[in-house]
Amino acid sequence: MNSDVKASLITHMIAGYPDFEKSLEVARGLIAGGAYALEIQIPFSDPNADGPLIENACRVALSRGFKVADTWRLLEVIRAESSIPIFLMSYASTAISCGLANFLRRAVEFATTGIIIPNLVPGADEGLFRTAAELGCPAVPVLVPWISDQRLDEILSMPIDWIYVALRSGITGAYTQIEAPQRSFLAKIRTRQRRPRIMAGFGIQKTAQVANLLEFVEAAVVGSAIVKTISGARHPGEAVRKLVGELQNIKLPKTPG
Amino acid sequence: MNEGGFFGEYGGRYVAEVLRGPLENLENEFRLAQTDEAFFSELENLRRNFIGRPTPLLPALNASSSIGGADIYIKLEGLANTGAHKINNAIGQALLAKRMGKTRVIAESGAGQHGVACAAACARLKIDCVVYMGEEDIRRQRPNVYWMKLYGAEVKSVSSGTRTLKDSVNAALRDWASSWENTHYLLGSALGPSPFPDMVRSFQSVIGRETKAQLGDVTPDALVACVGGGSNAIGFFEPYLEGVRPILLGAEAGGRGAGIGNNASRISGDGRISIVHGYKSRFLVDLDGQVLPTHSISAGLDYPGIGPQLAYLAESGRIRFVSVRDDEALEALKFFAIEEGLIFAMESAHAGAAAITLARSLGPGKTVVVNMSGRGDKDIFISAAALDGPAWKTFLREQSITEEDS
Ligand SMILES: Cc1ncc(COP(=O)(O)O)c(C=O)c1O
Repeated sequence: MNSDVKASLITHMIAGYPDFEKSLEVARGLIAGGAYALEIQIPFSDPNADGPLIENACRVALSRGFKVADTWRLLEVIRAESSIPIFLMSYASTAISCGLANFLRRAVEFATTGIIIPNLVPGADEGLFRTAAELGCPAVPVLVPWISDQRLDEILSMPIDWIYVALRSGITGAYTQIEAPQRSFLAKIRTRQRRPRIMAGFGIQKTAQVANLLEFVEAAVVGSAIVKTISGARHPGEAVRKLVGELQNIKLPKTPG
Repeated sequence: MNEGGFFGEYGGRYVAEVLRGPLENLENEFRLAQTDEAFFSELENLRRNFIGRPTPLLPALNASSSIGGADIYIKLEGLANTGAHKINNAIGQALLAKRMGKTRVIAESGAGQHGVACAAACARLKIDCVVYMGEEDIRRQRPNVYWMKLYGAEVKSVSSGTRTLKDSVNAALRDWASSWENTHYLLGSALGPSPFPDMVRSFQSVIGRETKAQLGDVTPDALVACVGGGSNAIGFFEPYLEGVRPILLGAEAGGRGAGIGNNASRISGDGRISIVHGYKSRFLVDLDGQVLPTHSISAGLDYPGIGPQLAYLAESGRIRFVSVRDDEALEALKFFAIEEGLIFAMESAHAGAAAITLARSLGPGKTVVVNMSGRGDKDIFISAAALDGPAWKTFLREQSITEEDS
């Protein structure tokens, strides 16, 4: 393991989970722990590109009355405290409910770096990629390693700054080995001229995985591991702060009290 | 009619990248199978000898004279093996899965009718079968779970979300995202990402083609079907979609009446355009796009979305929609039992109720054909409780005591 690597973690959290205030604490904890960016997911009733942990977190948030408008409230508070990059994740249904362009404009208001909508992929995206780029918060396509070269070209020709590589077949949540096929796919993208930056995730939960992955990509995304930590924690903010530190193998100063 | 999987603005293929390839592959394979003589002769053979096709078209003389309106004919899909039209699609797709070299089939199930049909089709064709079913639906439809297991299928209980049909679709999609190499997702209604709406319509259109042939010289003035996702309706209407006649009428679940969570009326109620389960259509969602709870006495109509082609044909005016409440469906159930000796599935009873009303308003000399998409044996726990509550409860209690003793 190369301990000189400047670890770069994108941390996934669900707005409103376990409740509004605690999700704010979580955001603060992730920032304090040294996350490079926050990926904030708007809870959706039917998040079928996510695993059971995240689905359950969505359900908890929604059952406490969380609305899309509360996401904007959350972003507003975070923005008042931090300029950390924020990626906003949504499903198509919540993103188009008040009009996709309106949704994107709200996101831009809070200086969102990028938009992730897993069920709007290039070519079947309701104009997401064009509009988001025009507004200054490009959409982030979610790729899988076994797509054809032709499809890869198609995706990379979109107006994008980042891509998200889902390392494993299937949904979020289970442990992923970063093996030869994934590595060679990442290497393939890296040889492209004018390539987008790469975040990669799905099943990242160990410090060693993060270090390994960061040899190939700009950022490792950690999702379910954070949700799991929150669900078992009395003080979720502090718990995720520690987790982020551990994952980056950074020794954090003990917080007083 | 179908450009890139769209019907007007509805339909499409709104799935994560991981499922894009498998769906493209499925579309290609389906196209190839459609021009494959061997595939069709095997399908034809299974329809005749396994499903029991053609299913009868009954001139419902008693019902017609009792109503005193239009002549009613009833297409008896409920006489198909496993008790509903679902088997038409299940056999078609299972055969396609086999042709594609898949060794495993997964399916979602609400009422359990599609699950039973898949389990039977897979038993017949020797393919492994896994049925996802919401915990709540397993509780409501226990008899069907036994049948699925008897056919050798594995029933996986889904405990996420509302624990009903929509959640079992999510579970099946999740499974498929990591299993598509050896697994076919056998979707049960005319919805989901393209090519499912086209494929399901194609396999269900045998209902409409047979009906048209069986009617012979009789030109129907109206066709009536119930609409959950829309597979029996679109298959029944298929030969009549072009043109403006006959009247095509879809009956949605009106449940307990108006209001959020009381019904599953997407077209005749408060459906809004959204993208859920891989397709764009009209859904019962709130202003944030969150999927709302639904209710119907019939589990098969208790789903928040409607097939994209039906949403499109509703908008174009070709198909009209009405809501039929639980109590109206129960009345129709009793009516056809007494008049014709037929026990409609609770889903189909919604179509029956709509047909009675329409036959009255069209009047004598006209012809109304209603699709009895399923038979009602499966509903005994629901219909008996609704129609004969106290006596049924007593029976259940006595039965459970007898079981314990033996
Ligand atoms: C007998 C019967 N009819 C109708 C339906 C509704 O489905 P669809 O609208 O796809 O025909 C079901 C679904 O389970 C069913 O079992």
